[in-house]
Amino acid sequence: MAPRTITPFGPQHPVLPEPIQLKLTLEDEKVVDVLPAIGYGHRGIEKACELNEYPKNIYLCERICGICSAIHGMTYCDVVEKLWPLEIPPRAKYLRTIWAEMSRTHSHLLWLGLAVDALGFESMFMQYWRIREKVLDILEMTAGHRVTQSVAVVGGVRRDIDDDQKKHCIEVLKDVRKEAEALNNVLVNDYTVKARTVGKGVLSYDQAIALGCCGPHLRASGVKEDCRQLGYWAYGDLSFEPITAPGGDTYSRVAVRCGELLQAIDLQLEAFAKMPEGDIAAKPKGSPPANEAATRIEQPRGELFYYAKGNGTRNLERLRVRTPTYANIPSLLVMLPGCEMADVAIIVLSIDPCISCTER
Amino acid sequence: MIDKLKEISKDQLLAEVKKYADSKAKFVTGSCNDLGDKLEVTYYFNASPGMDMSALRFVVGKGEEVPSMTGIYLTAVLIENEMKELFGLKVKDLAIDFGGHMMLAQDSPVLPMLKSEDQKAAAQKGGK
Amino acid sequence: MSMLSTVVSNLFGGPATLMYPVKPREPHARTRGQIALNESLCDGCGNCARRCPAVAIEIVKEKKQWILYPDRCIICEVCADACNRNAIEVLPKWRTPFYKREQIVFQSKGGKEVKEKAGECPVEEV
Repeated sequence: MAPRTITPFGPQHPVLPEPIQLKLTLEDEKVVDVLPAIGYGHRGIEKACELNEYPKNIYLCERICGICSAIHGMTYCDVVEKLWPLEIPPRAKYLRTIWAEMSRTHSHLLWLGLAVDALGFESMFMQYWRIREKVLDILEMTAGHRVTQSVAVVGGVRRDIDDDQKKHCIEVLKDVRKEAEALNNVLVNDYTVKARTVGKGVLSYDQAIALGCCGPHLRASGVKEDCRQLGYWAYGDLSFEPITAPGGDTYSRVAVRCGELLQAIDLQLEAFAKMPEGDIAAKPKGSPPANEAATRIEQPRGELFYYAKGNGTRNLERLRVRTPTYANIPSLLVMLPGCEMADVAIIVLSIDPCISCTER
Repeated sequence: MIDKLKEISKDQLLAEVKKYADSKAKFVTGSCNDLGDKLEVTYYFNASPGMDMSALRFVVGKGEEVPSMTGIYLTAVLIENEMKELFGLKVKDLAIDFGGHMMLAQDSPVLPMLKSEDQKAAAQKGGK
Repeated sequence: MSMLSTVVSNLFGGPATLMYPVKPREPHARTRGQIALNESLCDGCGNCARRCPAVAIEIVKEKKQWILYPDRCIICEVCADACNRNAIEVLPKWRTPFYKREQIVFQSKGGKEVKEKAGECPVEEV
């Protein structure tokens, strides 16, 4: 047996924008064991949400994650609405869907860029990020901010998309779709990308379920499961079918995200076409009643779980947030052993880790 | 209202969780509530593939030992460590024990998620 | 080879970036850049301060002062939505970076803006 060494991977590492440490036990270049250590970014947001009044928490929840901030805010509103329960107007449902899918588009473009960057394909990274800029631009035009959209409010949304904006969004999205499709074709057929990803970090169908994975990571193992199947907001009216891939390896995860990127744009175009006229927000009556509710919303990285408990006051008794990466980190314990040290970066990246999200 | 919530005692936990594991359900997450002198623990499961979520709930006194389900679902290791650190839930036989330093550091507050006296008082008089 | 079409379109497409300080980016009309108070409209009711999630607004009733802490402000526009008199404007231009945590004091209904400084660093125009 070759001598074993323990190598720390992170918390500061070029492929990781956020701090997570993996203690890798290596035998020569082969990983035999891994222990993830988190906790570098714990901010106590759940506790802070108990101390704030409930409408103020929207902006706090948005800051759990930088990339999917709009979805965090909207999910928080969704779970608080379930306490009454409060029905939101149809137009608000469509607007939430559109902003959620816009977030997914730019998040997947970001991830695809980072993933090809980790593989050393730098020009592709620039291409993906250039088209991501267009999506951020329409987000700023419609919501007022590139990253922290702050459009959700308990009862609906705060901003409407008028016809001019709608026309511009559709134009940009069609453009983005064309460019992204061309890039995706290059990416999934590229020889080097295949050599680096096919058969790396394999997670079988049964393992993916036993480890509680979620999102594109789970669907890349062939499990047809997506929270959007629940039909919340406008998803029930849209033609939505989860995208899966059978392989369970890093290549499948790239392929699933490439597919979801185009699907997200199609969903937005469909939602724009079907969006009804009407109010954009319902007014909640009084404080959230003493009740509890749980909600699950599909985020770019997977299933986002919110649990809220009210007590009749302006403050919530308890708010629990489980982000998708929290569910996906244990799968590293299965995927990493047996791989080469050089592949650790792309395998860790293939779960699309969002660490500050995880620790809240 | 949580749909399909089943109230059990902590001794039944492992047997119930085993049933979920046998039916190939997915562990979603857990959450812990501070009820004053007791802790309320809820575990959520999802019948995969699909979107059918159900939950198990038990209430234990603070200081009572609770069995760990990490032997059945390894993925519960993060949430059980978190509850141990932030709420002081005494989980025994954890598969990976971070020793109270998963989220918190040496000089962090102790059991920060428990309700403070101010919070309890505000909940008592609020809404009236 | 399949990258060729992208390469060719990039070759003739011109730069995707702006020459920043020479040619600044025009913000959209809805962009949340910074907030400012229209003093002639404000009556100091305190709706904004109560709803601000970041505790960035303070109202001193006796002196009729409306104090903004720009380093705390997250520009969520809640104050502007809450204001019954539309006294709070959201400007699309972002605030320039600052070195000191300062406060900007407005005088409600005072007409003339009174600026006080927490530090010696100059307060920029609002």
